Amino acid sequence: MLLRVLVFCALLISIPGYTWQGKVIDGVSYPANSAEVWLQKFRDALHDLNFSISFVVTRGNAETRPYIWRHGLVDGLSMEHLSQLNGPGSEIFRIGDKVSFFEPNSVPFSLQSSHINGPVPLTFFESPIELAEAYSFVVVGRTRVSGRAAQQIRIVSEDGSRYNTTLWLDQDTGLLLKMDVNNAQGDLLEQLQVTSLEVTEEPDEYFDKIEQSRLPEISSLPDNNQLQFSWQLNFIPTGMEVIQKDRRRLASSRDVVEYLMLSDGLVDVSVYISKDEGAVQDGGWLRHGSDTILSLTNGNIMVTVIGKIPPETANRIAASVGPVR
Amino acid sequence: MTQSKIENLSALVDGEQTDSKLLDELASDADLAARWQSYHLIKDGLRNELPDSLNLNIADAVAEAIDKEPAILAPNTERKTKNTPLWGSVVPLFRQGGQFAIAASVAVAVILGYQQFNQTTQDSDLNIAPVKAITGIQSGMSPVSLSQDRAVPKADVAEQRRKLNALFADHQQRMMLKTSDDKVQTNAESETTPEGEEQK
Repeated sequence: MLLRVLVFCALLISIPGYTWQGKVIDGVSYPANSAEVWLQKFRDALHDLNFSISFVVTRGNAETRPYIWRHGLVDGLSMEHLSQLNGPGSEIFRIGDKVSFFEPNSVPFSLQSSHINGPVPLTFFESPIELAEAYSFVVVGRTRVSGRAAQQIRIVSEDGSRYNTTLWLDQDTGLLLKMDVNNAQGDLLEQLQVTSLEVTEEPDEYFDKIEQSRLPEISSLPDNNQLQFSWQLNFIPTGMEVIQKDRRRLASSRDVVEYLMLSDGLVDVSVYISKDEGAVQDGGWLRHGSDTILSLTNGNIMVTVIGKIPPETANRIAASVGPVR
Repeated sequence: MTQSKIENLSALVDGEQTDSKLLDELASDADLAARWQSYHLIKDGLRNELPDSLNLNIADAVAEAIDKEPAILAPNTERKTKNTPLWGSVVPLFRQGGQFAIAASVAVAVILGYQQFNQTTQDSDLNIAPVKAITGIQSGMSPVSLSQDRAVPKADVAEQRRKLNALFADHQQRMMLKTSDDKVQTNAESETTPEGEEQK
């Protein structure tokens, strides 16, 4: 404990003396202390460290949700656990590249994925510096978050078509301490705040308790890559690409929809095309948490765009739907 | 379908021929009717008369989707024990579990009501002209909700909310079920996957 206090003080006091080596990422060299080096450090920490993090997430004016998130390398096998602490409880485990979902009132199931898609966007596990296509990185400086020295990094949407994200990374380990999502006016839309962070030599004992043989088998979702739609998007924000395609009946309303998911790694946007039965009179939108829900009618179809993007961008995407020519 | 019939049809679309026999045939032959539709579409396209709005034939897509989903429609237990398609075994549990979990958060969305665009912003620069409705919602002021709109009957409001709720619930599910593979698939086309993946 004393050692930790000392290290912490040393970090705060000896800022100029604290040097960070430049780093080569994907063949490109980045200067020491650049945002790219920090993002890469964050990514590596997510893969290499045994950690246990408690955090809360607040979205818009919705209720705050607490989570616990663990990662460990057990005999070289990467394991992850994400648990919602309020409510009936939903647990997600990842052993290697098998992600198993345990939810109340439902049969457990597994999917194949090398990470859990929780409140921390998948891009931070993979290749965060690729975000540079649509965002610019700004190293803001050092500050104190969750009682630890933190490096603040802003990820700013270059054309304003998306919200801005700010990360506070632990100076010591590179792990996440806080993440804010703001709109262009600076209003806070979403916040992830770490309340406790523990990095240990050995993986958490919790992982020993998982009975791997009892986890459900991996279900494969249908491969819809060949699916052809009679419509297309004529506007896709810079850096985004179509990552999912689907046509199916909605679970709750029984409506049949055609679906595209756009993603730039940081935010995911759903585009739904359904038959308009006159239910939507005029286009309109609403905000739920940090999500924008916008729909408009075009001919005999209804286009709905949902995602963490400004309504203007959602409107542009929705309005760009046209027939395949 | 014979070549001469197709030529006759083409002439009919161009208004050069009125053959009542062909018209009768058109009414009964689905293939011919489809061709007739596409000829008209081509004609409109050539003359730049295509409407701006979309009139896609979603009905066919609906029919197709319904055809493909017996496992989803009737997830009875007897069937599940047999070799159900994997998708069939996945979907019902979302309907039970996922839906319950999501229902509470979705309820908030409906209370807020549905904002109308005060102006169309599709041509404006993304950085300017923020849509004012946001502040109205966030500060808890009464937004212009559909329930205050006399032009819209009550039933439609409920219908609209039901639709949007269903879509939002689906969006949340997909967020949860998004896997890194979605990403890898598309990355693989253009770039090499990042180094050091601990997949195995």
